[in-house]
Amino acid sequence: MKYRVWHRTTYTYDEPVTDSLGVGHMTPRSLPWQHVSGDEVTVEPMPADLSHETDYYGNRMTYFQVTQPHTELRVTATADVESLAPTYDPAALAQPWENAAPVGRRDVPTAWQAVDFALQSSKVAHSDGARAYGAGSLVPGRPLADAVTDLMHRIYTDFDYETGATSVTSTVDDVLSKRAGVCQDFAHLTLACLRTHGVAARYVSGYLATTPPPGRERIVGADASHAWVAVWLPGSAGWLAVDPTNDQWVNDRYVTAAWGRDYADVSPLKGVIFSDATKSTLSVEVDVAPLP
Amino acid sequence: MTVLRDYATALSQPTLTGAPARYDEVVAPDGSLRASWKGLAELAVQITPGDLSRLDAEIRRFLNNDGVTYARPGEDAGPWQLDPMPLVISAAEWEPLEVGLAQRAELLNAILIDLYGDQRLLREGILPPEVVFGHSGFARPMARAATRDQRPLVIAAADLGRNAEGEWTVLSDRAQAPSGIGYAIENRRVISQVLPELYREAGLHRVRPFLSAFRSALMASAEVEVADPRVVVLSPGTHSETSYDQANVAASLGFPLVRGSDLVVRQGRVFLREYAGTLEQVDVILRRVDASWSDPLELRADSQLGVPGLSEAVRRGTVRIVNGLGAGVLENPGLVPFLPAASEALLGESLRLPTVATWWCGEPDGLDHVLGNLDEVAVRAIDRPATDLSNDLTADLSSLSLDEVREQVRAHPHRYVGQERLALSQAPSWSAATGLEPRPLTLRTFTLRSGSTYRPMVGGLASTQGTSAGDLGAVSKDVWVLKASRDEADLDRAEVLTLAAVQARPAVVPRALDDLFWFGRYTERAEDTLRLLLAAHVLSEDYLTRPHSAGGQATTVMLDALARLTGIASTGDVDRHLRAILLDTNQPGAVAQSVTALRDCAQGVRDQLSLDIWKAFGSYDRASWELVRHEHSYQVSESAGRMLNATMAVHGVTANMMRDEGWRMIRIGGWLERGLQVTSLLRLVVGRRGLDTDRIVLNQTLLAADSSITHRRRYRGYVRPRTVLDLMLADPENPRSLTFALTELRRHLSTLKASTGATRPERLLDELLEECRQADPTTLVALDGETRPHLVKHLDQVNRQLVRLSDAIETQHFETGPRMRPLGLMESR
Repeated sequence: MKYRVWHRTTYTYDEPVTDSLGVGHMTPRSLPWQHVSGDEVTVEPMPADLSHETDYYGNRMTYFQVTQPHTELRVTATADVESLAPTYDPAALAQPWENAAPVGRRDVPTAWQAVDFALQSSKVAHSDGARAYGAGSLVPGRPLADAVTDLMHRIYTDFDYETGATSVTSTVDDVLSKRAGVCQDFAHLTLACLRTHGVAARYVSGYLATTPPPGRERIVGADASHAWVAVWLPGSAGWLAVDPTNDQWVNDRYVTAAWGRDYADVSPLKGVIFSDATKSTLSVEVDVAPLP
Repeated sequence: MTVLRDYATALSQPTLTGAPARYDEVVAPDGSLRASWKGLAELAVQITPGDLSRLDAEIRRFLNNDGVTYARPGEDAGPWQLDPMPLVISAAEWEPLEVGLAQRAELLNAILIDLYGDQRLLREGILPPEVVFGHSGFARPMARAATRDQRPLVIAAADLGRNAEGEWTVLSDRAQAPSGIGYAIENRRVISQVLPELYREAGLHRVRPFLSAFRSALMASAEVEVADPRVVVLSPGTHSETSYDQANVAASLGFPLVRGSDLVVRQGRVFLREYAGTLEQVDVILRRVDASWSDPLELRADSQLGVPGLSEAVRRGTVRIVNGLGAGVLENPGLVPFLPAASEALLGESLRLPTVATWWCGEPDGLDHVLGNLDEVAVRAIDRPATDLSNDLTADLSSLSLDEVREQVRAHPHRYVGQERLALSQAPSWSAATGLEPRPLTLRTFTLRSGSTYRPMVGGLASTQGTSAGDLGAVSKDVWVLKASRDEADLDRAEVLTLAAVQARPAVVPRALDDLFWFGRYTERAEDTLRLLLAAHVLSEDYLTRPHSAGGQATTVMLDALARLTGIASTGDVDRHLRAILLDTNQPGAVAQSVTALRDCAQGVRDQLSLDIWKAFGSYDRASWELVRHEHSYQVSESAGRMLNATMAVHGVTANMMRDEGWRMIRIGGWLERGLQVTSLLRLVVGRRGLDTDRIVLNQTLLAADSSITHRRRYRGYVRPRTVLDLMLADPENPRSLTFALTELRRHLSTLKASTGATRPERLLDELLEECRQADPTTLVALDGETRPHLVKHLDQVNRQLVRLSDAIETQHFETGPRMRPLGLMESR
């Protein structure tokens, strides 16, 4: 499928900001199953400094600094993306899930890199609760794809999608006790369930093309940035990408922006401002428009 | 008997405790002196307990005079402790250590290059990935293809101990932002002064050349060839544990001491916020802020100590940070078992210096060994926990039971190591209570990149009685490395000499000017309060027993004025009241609070002040201790008098400063405070209470304002309100008068670089001066019943204007813009 991804973040402040520095992960990365072209990031007001880089995990990263006083900051990322549904090696999917634990696996050449995604990270602490919940799906010897799919399905079933139930500072345990959250929370929870059992898995941030209800027009800007997880498939080049928020494997309607250990590595936009402002409002608009 | 002989004799006695046999640094097992001490024997064996006690007291005085402090985390700064007996290392012993330390720094540098570059050590399985990826010091923003720093490690420190065989063994590496060089330099300075004969006889390596080498190394670190690179020392501020060390290093190197808020990133470059809004590019940053706190944009977002954009500047190669932002990953005992293999792989050499036996629990054998020997090994986490992890991974497991430790280790084996508890060597250590006693000792060394190799400081920082290796809160020792022969050079590096002549430029950042302005204000405030207190104390001594006499009433007026000005209410007990005013460190207006704040300001600009300033604080401290120790009433005036002398000494130091912006700010602060103090005091004492009482009050007011003699000469001892007001408000020649203070203030304001003649502070002051000129003395002094309403109104008005002026000066000269905060003030999504 071909899409034009449009992602705009707008901050407005009650007092002028004299200096604003930001780092963004909004531009989709190029992948074997994802071709990216015409990508652009614009910052308003005109930034004094703007650079595009590749971060440690190979993601596209934007750095900018605005030095003219402003009360509104607007960062807009656009890109044309042609994506295919990822395909996986059936043998890799069928191996026991225990194989996807990279620690100590000297026999698999890429295991050392996967270890980074098997350890706990700042937003995915290893909790006993997550371990116990994960054990329900990670039954000894079960094929990897089955175990992961089952975990995804249980999270989808047991947890309510509810904005406001959690905040960016919520922990995996908070989500477990509230039984509710948003896509980030479900991704973090899935990661915690897998990693407490040693399995390597990434946090993936990106976009999902939505289909309007039958008979309705597509509403521009109503989409949201999305998050899911990808599980290491030892012995193959791929990582099995699953979306616990929508109870499905990632397909050609998903656009991958960036991956890391958790949200903190790849938050779409973070920054530091110099201001006496006491209030800010944030608006995020995302549009994933099908292209002919 | 001499102490060393006693010490040797005591050692030779069999012990009943069965404590591990330790290597003694001074005495060999047969009771003779070690080779390193033989050359000193003649002098050293003559030292008596009395000598050591005297030396100890002298060392304390020296350290106090230099303001040398250390603050344990979460505690107030306390005095730095230095043992009179140095650790002496012979040339023969030092040589292999030096080679080993140089190799170790070379290896650690190579490991950093690899981990932040090719990661061959991980790919080839030489280092387990958990030890690197699971360590909070591994800074991913620094691990980019574009970041190819070939010298990320400029200064490495190591803590070492000697095992029972006398072999130096590394206990831990410190690479993040090693502290202690400033202390080591100071230790040597003090010891060489209190033990001059021994020091001269010893034939030891000096440590100061290391500073020149350090300065050269930092200047040579500039990314681009800059003729005269700007180097700064980035400090977390005066409340950090080792703020003395940071300031002493900065002052000794001649580089400005700055904080994160003094730096700003523009166009991917780092600039120093210079005075009056100008920016100067910074080429090299000697970093004393932990990496994770150094850049709130890409590292810890909640840090107020860092510079947003710093990581980006490093990636663009516009600034060098020493040590690199990723160096913290080396402070990692999990690396220890793999260092020999890493050395073979990266250097093609076997590792020379032994490291304390370490078992990493991430390997089954290591885990088994540690869990099987929990009571013998010390279990340590590989890093300090990242604080934003919700579950608590305490680095210090000493408070846990063995079962709890076992559970922690089993839950996250890769995060832990077990280390052999080394029976450290012991050295004679002096304490007044127990005399010279053997104490376990560790040694911190400092190894510096010099050209293409590494060279250690020929010396170091030893510590005894610590709670852990390299505990800076313990008792330190100077480290003497003896020369092989008398004429051996201290350091044989030509490049040290060529660069040492470069004159470092002073930097005046607005924050430092702010510190200096308040330095001026607090000095004046402390002085004025002390003078008033002394004047009140004299009266109270005379009239305490006659409360209803005119003198008694005058005493009450003066004590009330003191209470009002300091905010410390009288308790009825004059002595206690005055002591509280002298000793309260929290109440603004109290002398101790002013001096504490003054000292904080001085600490913030330590790199710009003469060392003599710390002597003044030293004598202030001693006056303060005496006051606490002695309960006699006369001790109040005795101590207050000596404190007053100390503030005079501070004035003496500033009188000899360069006439730059910093000095002007001190004077501006001083004159402004004097205006505030004189108006506040007059306001409280000029009421009418009866002729005799008023006369005494006015006399003491003149005394408090140091104007008695002038008044006597001018008015022949006839004290009336009008004469006092003339002298203290309007007299253009009396430095204690309001007019004089305001005139000086105006003069200094107009000589500031940012002066236009019409800046807001200048305009405010011009208005104030005009108001004072128009005040008619006859009207001011006029009575209405018991008060002088015009005078009170005038004084209040002036006082308010001065407060406004102070605010205007702050805004005009010190403000560097609004606060730093996250992009979204209230995160939502």
